Amino acid sequence: MRIYALAVYAFLYLPIGIIALFSFSAGRSASQMQGFSTGWYAKALGNPFVVDALKTSASVALTSALLSCLFGTMAALALTGLKGRVRTIFDAMIYIAVMIPGIVIGIATLIALVTVFDAVNPWVQAATGWRLSLGFGSLVGAHVLFTMSLVIILVRARIEGMDRALIEASSDLGAGPVATFRQVTLPLLAPAVFAGFLLSFTFSFDDFIIAFFVAGPETTLPIYIFSSIRRGVTPEINAIGTMVIAVSLILLIVAEFTLRRGKPAA
Amino acid sequence: MALSNRQARWLLLGPAGLWYAMLLVLPLAVVLVYSFGERGAAGGYQPAFTLAQYANLATRWTAFKNTLMLAPLGTVAALLIAYPLAYFLAVRVNPRWRTLLLVLVIVPFWTSILIRSYAWIFLLGGRGIPALLADLGLGDWRLINTPFAVLVGIVYGYMPLMFFPIYVSLEKLDRKLLEAASDLGSPPWRSFVQVTLPLSLPGVATGSMLVFILLMGEYLIPQMLGGGKVFFVGNALVDLFLQSRNWAFGSAMSVTLVAVMLVVVTLYMRFLKRIGAAREDVGLM
Amino acid sequence: MKKTDFMRELRRYHKGSVSRRHFLGVTGLGAATAVMAGSLPMRAFAQGIGDRVSMATWPNYDDPDNLAAFQDKTGAAVQVNVFGSNEEMFAKLQAGGAGWDVVVATNYTISTYVGAKMIEPLDLSKLPNYDAAAFEARFAGPGTVDGKLYAIPKLWGTTGMAFDSTRAAQPLDSWKGFFDITRTEFSGRTIIHDYQLTAIGNALKYFGYSFNSVDPKELAEAEKLLIEVKPHLFAITSDYQPAMRNGDAWLTMCWTGDGKQLNRDMPEIHYALGKEGGEIWSDFYCIPTSAPNREGAYALLNFLLDPQVNAREALFHGYPVPDSRVEALMSDEMRNDPILHPAADLLSALEFGAAVTLTDPNRAEIMARFKAA
Repeated sequence: MRIYALAVYAFLYLPIGIIALFSFSAGRSASQMQGFSTGWYAKALGNPFVVDALKTSASVALTSALLSCLFGTMAALALTGLKGRVRTIFDAMIYIAVMIPGIVIGIATLIALVTVFDAVNPWVQAATGWRLSLGFGSLVGAHVLFTMSLVIILVRARIEGMDRALIEASSDLGAGPVATFRQVTLPLLAPAVFAGFLLSFTFSFDDFIIAFFVAGPETTLPIYIFSSIRRGVTPEINAIGTMVIAVSLILLIVAEFTLRRGKPAA
Repeated sequence: MALSNRQARWLLLGPAGLWYAMLLVLPLAVVLVYSFGERGAAGGYQPAFTLAQYANLATRWTAFKNTLMLAPLGTVAALLIAYPLAYFLAVRVNPRWRTLLLVLVIVPFWTSILIRSYAWIFLLGGRGIPALLADLGLGDWRLINTPFAVLVGIVYGYMPLMFFPIYVSLEKLDRKLLEAASDLGSPPWRSFVQVTLPLSLPGVATGSMLVFILLMGEYLIPQMLGGGKVFFVGNALVDLFLQSRNWAFGSAMSVTLVAVMLVVVTLYMRFLKRIGAAREDVGLM
Repeated sequence: MKKTDFMRELRRYHKGSVSRRHFLGVTGLGAATAVMAGSLPMRAFAQGIGDRVSMATWPNYDDPDNLAAFQDKTGAAVQVNVFGSNEEMFAKLQAGGAGWDVVVATNYTISTYVGAKMIEPLDLSKLPNYDAAAFEARFAGPGTVDGKLYAIPKLWGTTGMAFDSTRAAQPLDSWKGFFDITRTEFSGRTIIHDYQLTAIGNALKYFGYSFNSVDPKELAEAEKLLIEVKPHLFAITSDYQPAMRNGDAWLTMCWTGDGKQLNRDMPEIHYALGKEGGEIWSDFYCIPTSAPNREGAYALLNFLLDPQVNAREALFHGYPVPDSRVEALMSDEMRNDPILHPAADLLSALEFGAAVTLTDPNRAEIMARFKAA
């Protein structure tokens, strides 16, 4: 059993090791070790396109995650206890949004938006001087469709598992609906909303296929990497990958350390 | 300002409803309409009403076949690898190490799937594992650009999605049940089959469905590890939109892919209900 | 704010007589840009040529040192986006604003780009390094449409095949040989371009048809051949250097410069043209009408057209440049290189790609079917 687990971990870390190893190559090839150098790290950090792509990805992911949590939680609350046609329609929408492949979302959003923009742009341009186009807005729009549905599912599951007695108790004690919501419901929902936020952020940050279609002139990190791979990868890409892992690991260790210190010694 | 319950409800549902209307219903409707159209002279779309695009689907049968074979196969392979690991971490391992080992399962996935797949191109290419096998005298292996390479990429890319639901369901397992079984003289394999396995089925069901759904629309892994030789529906779709610029045919193929998925997933859920593995959250999905 | 006022402010801003903040404040764009930041081509508003220029080009086409020199000189970094086929480049541009300032497109696509108003006529006052007389007419011709110059050639080349000569019993010299050996000794070792023009064109040459044929009967034969060899291929990709270099592949359809680069590093890899014919082509710099940073595009083009810089480019990419000023700087060895400058009788059999192949629905569909087979 233990050996099996070890083998699985080896399988998981073999490619990561390769990435990290070649990131220190002095040569231009990302699949051959030629000397040792940390030059590619400096190069990646000094490359405005990498920094830009990182910023774009982060802001798209952050916006998507925030909107998803806000709208998703609102919808989940409204749907609780709701019956009838509206409920059926929303259930169907959530089901379809989660199940439909990302590639279809990307394609459908692309052709719908291009069609709509072509139709309304003459008026929009006459009125404002600007034209609607693909970009940040369409990226967030397409990502939120999926991530908001995730949040609704998570929060609703939490609401359904929630102890109704708490809310009743709060209102018996004379708290108004707003106070009850703020002091009882929201704290109870927080873990689900937080999980939804993390999931949404991760999904949006890592998404390639939807962005591939709807990003317009924006370059997210996955799109940048995809283009670089075609160009013949240099160890710069390996350096970026290694840094992302290293930063995540450090954050995790710091978090773990602070949590431990926060706890009284056992 | 006093809102009636009804008004408040609509206000809360408003943004989500708008989102679904504008970015789900509208795009899908456009795709459906386009699927009955024709390719424009220089590419793109031209209005028409024809079933020609659907009739042409037969020419992409291989892509559908590859997807419908490798998606379930990849799901099962990921399950077979993830389950024992999840079992080990949830039941066997010393709790002191559990958090660390769990985190170690996720960490590789913080770097882009693109970079990880690129590493596999090297590992499966002529200078990677095949060279090692040849040195060991194990013969001449060609791995890259084969269905096997795509399968490796799939398992590697999707294993954690399978792992976590299973781990969660195993972790909830009451260890006292196992102890009771063992006290009653049941051999370990029997308590596994009769106690552990049934209790972990909901996790297996969730993980399998998650992985399967994502695999049906997969593009990147076959693109990178299949070398244009192991083609999925996703690859055919990207080709239609970004190379042959045939939006009408691409739309028809998208509609078909969604229809196939709806059928397969619905059947799967029925099957789950019958064996009683459906859990609330699976039902919700 | 009236449109004329807006334009006046815009001009003042461009001339640099008002600050960006003033401009955004006066025009009320501040709030709008704050909301829409990212979805609008903000870079166009940067002073001078901005800090970045984005270029759509091909693998192994641009010397990173030259681009770094451009950045040192102007402060603008060049982003390189690489494509596998003209069709893909066209589709991305057609689907609306890809954000590129410079596009490197092949001769047969220029007239279609112009017709679709996707590229704009070049303003030669911003390209002092361009000298029309220095360019070879045969290669520069397609850049002029209706008397207006839309595109300037970067380089020209041929589409042949590169093979590992230690693996082949005898040297390859024909498309017949290419497809035949793929089905026999080289099974599993051949790469075909992910590009309809050359993949289908060279299959047509197998039967002796025109490289540009759109005749349904001839295309059907080419498709049959492609689908027949598909199980014997190593890959369908336009980025074939890595697989050739690490020995996974032994034979590939190949462009001049890649052939030169491979042969330079690994002398056992030879480059050959098909004696039945095939493609000769030239690639052009153009500026898309949707370019967010037009000034940057001109600055980059002018920089690259400097004969000294262009000569360094040529040494990197290994293609001949149809600019006599650049050829004059090349060594005799380069000028007489049989890969760069094939013998006249081989050259005369080659054809330039025809515009119709870009938009022909049949060719697009056959390529897609071949890949999905």
